[in-house]
This record gives sequence, C-alpha cells and structure tokens, in this order.
Amino acid sequence: MPNCQIIDPLVTPFVDDELPDADRRLVEDHVRVCAPCHSRLVAERAVHTIIRARAETLRAPAPEPLRARCRELAARAESEAATRSPRVKTPWLGFVPRGAWTSRVGPLALAASLTIVVGSAFVIQATRRSEIVLAAELTADHMKCLAMNRVLGTHQDPAAVESSMISGFGWNMHLPEAPEREGMELVGSRPCLYGDGKIAHIMYRHEGNTVSLFMLPKTSRAQQLVRVLGHEAAIWCVGNRTFVLLAREPRREVERMASYVKASLQ
Amino acid sequence: MAPRKGLPVVSPAFETEALASLDSLYRAALRLTRRPADAEDLVQETYLKAFRAADQFEPGTNLRAWLFTILHNTARNRARDRARDTVAIDSEIVDRAADAPPPGGRSAGAAETPESLLLRETLAPELQAAIDALPEAFRQAVWLRDVEEFSYAEIAEMLSIPVGTVMSRISRGRHMLFDRLSHLRPVNA
Repeated sequence: MPNCQIIDPLVTPFVDDELPDADRRLVEDHVRVCAPCHSRLVAERAVHTIIRARAETLRAPAPEPLRARCRELAARAESEAATRSPRVKTPWLGFVPRGAWTSRVGPLALAASLTIVVGSAFVIQATRRSEIVLAAELTADHMKCLAMNRVLGTHQDPAAVESSMISGFGWNMHLPEAPEREGMELVGSRPCLYGDGKIAHIMYRHEGNTVSLFMLPKTSRAQQLVRVLGHEAAIWCVGNRTFVLLAREPRREVERMASYVKASLQ
Repeated sequence: MAPRKGLPVVSPAFETEALASLDSLYRAALRLTRRPADAEDLVQETYLKAFRAADQFEPGTNLRAWLFTILHNTARNRARDRARDTVAIDSEIVDRAADAPPPGGRSAGAAETPESLLLRETLAPELQAAIDALPEAFRQAVWLRDVEEFSYAEIAEMLSIPVGTVMSRISRGRHMLFDRLSHLRPVNA
C-alpha cells in the first residue's frame, strides 16, 4: 500500500480525471483505508464539482462596447503592419513566439517545454542554502516531476536529453553510456527553477523507482550524502557545477548510482 | 515558423476566432485585476498584441490558450511596471504554501460533508466572492482549470510555471475554497 506522500500529488489529477487507470486504482485503494487522504479528495472534488456546475453563471459576458473596441484593434494592427518592416522579435509582447519556442525546445517533451521561459518569478536562493535545504527542495521537485511524468508519460531518448541540455543550459554533455548495465533506464529531462538560474533535471528509472539527477550551474558544494524526506541525495561537484542524484532508495544504492554517473558523465 | 509574408497580417478568420474568446478573456482579466475598467484595459492590450503578432500564431494550435498566455504575460508586465513585483512575491508564498502539509483540522470533517450538500447550498455569488478572495496565484489556477477548462499544460504555459506547480496551486486553491464554503454553509446547516 503506497503511503500518503506518494498519493498526495496524485489527488488533483485524480479529481481532474487526468490519471492513467493504474494510478487511479492506486488512489482509490489508498483513500479506501486512509481517512485524511479521503477527506482531501472529497473536499477537492466537491469544489471542482461546484465550480463546474456553476461555471455557466460565473461566465458573465464582456461589455458590448469592449467588443467593438477590440474589433477595431484588428484594423489598427493591420494599418501598423502596412507601415513596418518584417519583425523577427517582439520584445514588447512578453511571450516567446511559437516558432522560436518550438525550435528552442523542439527535442524536449511537452513537460520540459513548459517551464523554460520562466525568468525571475522564482527567487528561491537555493545556491546559498544548506545542503539539507537544497536536498529537500530538490526532493520536492523530484516528487512533483515524478507525479507529472506519470500523467504525461514522459519518455525521451539520450540524444533528445543531450540536445536539451545544450539548448537550455549551454551544457555540452554526454549521458552515461549503457545505464541499463546499472539497472537504470532513462526517462527524460526537465529544466527546474530552483536557485538563481535554471537547474537541469534528468530522470531515470531504477527498479521501479524514479531517480533524479540535478545539475546546478555555477555552484560549488562539498561531496556528501544527505538523507531528507525519506530520500537519499548524493551531492558532488565537478568544476563549477554541482550534481545531486536523489532517489527513495537505500543509501548504498544511491551511492552506487552516483559513483557510476560521476565516473561516466562527460 | 517563419513569419508569413504579405499583408494583411490579421485574416478575417483569425480576427473572428480571436474575438470569440473575448468573454472568457474579460472574465479572466476581471479575476486578475478585480476592477472592470482595468480588466477592459488589459483585454484591449491583449488583443492589440495578439493582432500585431497574428503572423506568429501557429495555425492548428489553440488560439484561445495563446490569447490567455498573452493576457497573463501582459498582466505580469503591468504589475512589474507598477514596481510591485507581485508575481515574484506571490510565487514564494505560494510555493511555501504548496509544500506545506495538506490541510487537516476543519478538512477532517470533509468526509461528513456530502458534495451534494455544498453543491445545493452554495450560490453562485457566494462562490464568485470566495474565488475572488483567493490569493492571486491560486485564483488564477483554479479559474483557468475549473471555469475555463484548460489543461494543466496550457495553464503552465500561460502562467510560466511548471505543471507540478499548476497542480499544487489548483489543489491548494480548491482546499481554501472548500474551507471557506464549508464555513459559510456549516455541515449541520
């Protein structure tokens, strides 16, 4: 029977009917015997149901004069376009144009592509925190990504991950060869947003568990093993990059996988 | 995608389809700004940007989601311009809250609160007021999911946050609403 920590991130996609059948059953079995999780699910589903039921009433129409003004804006944009040269960038727009977006993150799965444009909204100063806080934050991220990969069924090949590391982080790297010999299978990559800059996040599967490998650019940490929130995190540093490998596995397994990655990651 | 050559950039079909989202954009803008005049301003700026960038919209993708992305980015930029970086501050609070343990206490009574009772007892104006009282980040996430019915991935793109954060904000927002609505309509009422 999975514990509440595993079920927790699945409750919302369960309510939204976004979980695969296997995970749905996992949640159903759990809430049958766990009163707090059952209460959480009931509460969340109740609100979801109420809002959906009242959505029509909440959907008030926009004022008519606004509609007319917005229609005029199309003509205004056209007349502006007639007097300007072709534009390649739209810095005023505040969003990444579709074309640029696609080419930049093309090799990435949808899950990874969603987060790359975020800039300064996240101001967590992970690089100045203790190793335990850092490991705890990364563990939280690991668990969120784990739940999300279940929803999205992320699966990328090594070339796609390596390509995303170059485009997303300027990190020209080669993944460890033949991870299957160590019982590891590549899942995919995600850019994470802890710290001052983006943090690379590569996920593997090992004996049914998800293993996360994080790369923190421009960060130096002493080599160590940290246990936090039921996970083991191996931290090491190469040059000006810090690596964190973490999983909910016995310490010796995490140590073994970290040694393998450290030795074979180029 | 290379920009399309030739003018006009705003085809009648694009204009019609874009304007079909006016009501939902206006409602989202109202939830963001809470003031009708500001909401109208925000919607107009959104449409102007969208029409100017019409050649960058990739046909076949979700135009409504694209417009919502512009709306939220415009709102964020405006907030920044006002030197009140509410997004950054909010995100910190939100993420702390999202990582906090799930609500116990009052929610423990949830098992005894039938969904049907809340549904029957909660009136739309009360629900609207409760949604409007949510902190901005939770309000956006719940609204976009439960009223506008966008996918997690679309909301993540609109709000420029990871999908996991979208889910945790929806979750926290719904629990806050549940607590508020249960308080308004006690179980024994």
